[in-house]
Amino acid sequence: MKALLARGWVRAVIGLVAPALFLIWWQVQALSGGAHALAFAPLESVGAAFVELAVQGSLFSDMAATLSRSLSGLAIGGALGIALGVAMAIWRPLDRLLNPLLQAIRQVPLMGWLPLLGLWVGTGQGTELIVVSLSAFFPTLLNSYEGVAGVERRFLEVGQVYGFTPWQRFRLILLPGAMPLILTGLTQGLAFAWIASIASEILLGVGGGLGVTMQLAQMQQRLDIILVAILVTAALGFTINQLFLRLRQHLLRWQAPLR
Amino acid sequence: MIHEVLARPVPGGAAAAGGALAIRDLHKSFTIGGAPRTVLEGINLDIRPGEFVSIVGASGCGKSTLLRLIVGLDDDYRGEIRLDGERVSTTSLDRGIVFQDHRLFPWMTLAQNIELALRNTDVPAARRAQIVAEHIALVNLTGFEQAYPHQLSGGMAQRAAIARALVTEPKLLLLDEPLGALDALTRVRVQTELQRIWMAQRSTMLMVTHDVEEALYLGDRVVVMAPEPGRIRRIVEVDLPHPRDRAALLHRLKDEILAELTAAPGGPSNLVHLPGREAR
Repeated sequence: MKALLARGWVRAVIGLVAPALFLIWWQVQALSGGAHALAFAPLESVGAAFVELAVQGSLFSDMAATLSRSLSGLAIGGALGIALGVAMAIWRPLDRLLNPLLQAIRQVPLMGWLPLLGLWVGTGQGTELIVVSLSAFFPTLLNSYEGVAGVERRFLEVGQVYGFTPWQRFRLILLPGAMPLILTGLTQGLAFAWIASIASEILLGVGGGLGVTMQLAQMQQRLDIILVAILVTAALGFTINQLFLRLRQHLLRWQAPLR
Repeated sequence: MIHEVLARPVPGGAAAAGGALAIRDLHKSFTIGGAPRTVLEGINLDIRPGEFVSIVGASGCGKSTLLRLIVGLDDDYRGEIRLDGERVSTTSLDRGIVFQDHRLFPWMTLAQNIELALRNTDVPAARRAQIVAEHIALVNLTGFEQAYPHQLSGGMAQRAAIARALVTEPKLLLLDEPLGALDALTRVRVQTELQRIWMAQRSTMLMVTHDVEEALYLGDRVVVMAPEPGRIRRIVEVDLPHPRDRAALLHRLKDEILAELTAAPGGPSNLVHLPGREAR
């Protein structure tokens, strides 16, 4: 069993068992007739809707829109989060100054800011990007802070013995020492940015994207299109998360493997 | 065996100039739970350039604290520590240290870990790679340049830490129980290597250990410390030529020092010089 599990394709097949069972259950519901069958579009019509959207090209422009919104938000929020988190961990007065405010802001769920942001910057794409950036900002900030603050003193002493300048101390000890947690922050930030993109697209419905399509399809009662959008969202989110984990593994190749 | 090891070239080569350490009336106390607690009291010690001095003592006698003060990681003390006449107040590339834990940066390869010690020296960048390679060879780690610390065994990592400390050719090298975490066999091997390196470089070395045999094997003198508060109980001359073998010659001294360490407090006065020579 263990030897079998060591093979990549075996693990991949096992991972597909649960989704396959789910689809079978779905199809049975769709075909069973009755009132609640309305809520389950049969798989073939979902497939047809997929082909329809793909041929139109709107599926790909939606994917591109949601993807670029998430990644821009991750870039903006992540960069600010790393910069501020690192700065707060290195320079205590900044921590004292900003920590209470940031902790308070963090208590409000992101979507709770939408009405306020709507009044300030309107309900356009700008607001969407702000929400997505904010969602990536907090996990990156908190983890970067913890990462730098948690760098062991014994390593800093080595830098002291070899006469490190403040820049060397940062570049050679604090930053690489904090890197595992910074990357954890970015991974969480990516997941949050992805969720926030879809959610803000559904709520604001502007600028295109998978969420916008879901919302339109809901108004047109096109259950098949909603399902296509959901499946594509899941597949795309899964893929970028996997790519990100690979990148993380490469950057942290100096760590002892966990297993 | 030892001569064969010695035949290998050692980088640095010539005796390092200077390296005389003078400690006068050194006191150090910490505040623990609001109350001051003396860790080191009235330490007086002179170490000649090129000498190897071992410090032994029970835990809590302030051995490691003493080394931290000498290397300059802690400057909150009374009394004087001077290296070649200059008062120690902060760290300097003149003073190197090998910690009890190897303290290699896990995010750097072995070669990068050793190279970082040279960053703030005036060694030209073009020469650094070669010096690093020489020191990796010196501690018998050639072939592991690109390995990360988690891929090294404890003994290998500790030897890498020794190479990192040697690469700057410090006048004074402090060793804080550098071999404490190693198994008995690795320990003996690294001790032999350490003796070979010291004989070739002749920098001043001050090693803290809790292994009396190790202290005698390597040291020209052995400083015996007593705990609470940490003070020097006795200094034993080990008047035996290097390289030494671990023969019976060391045994009488070992028994004496062990007796000293296990004796009741308030024993004989400090600074008794004991000739270690014994008629064959």
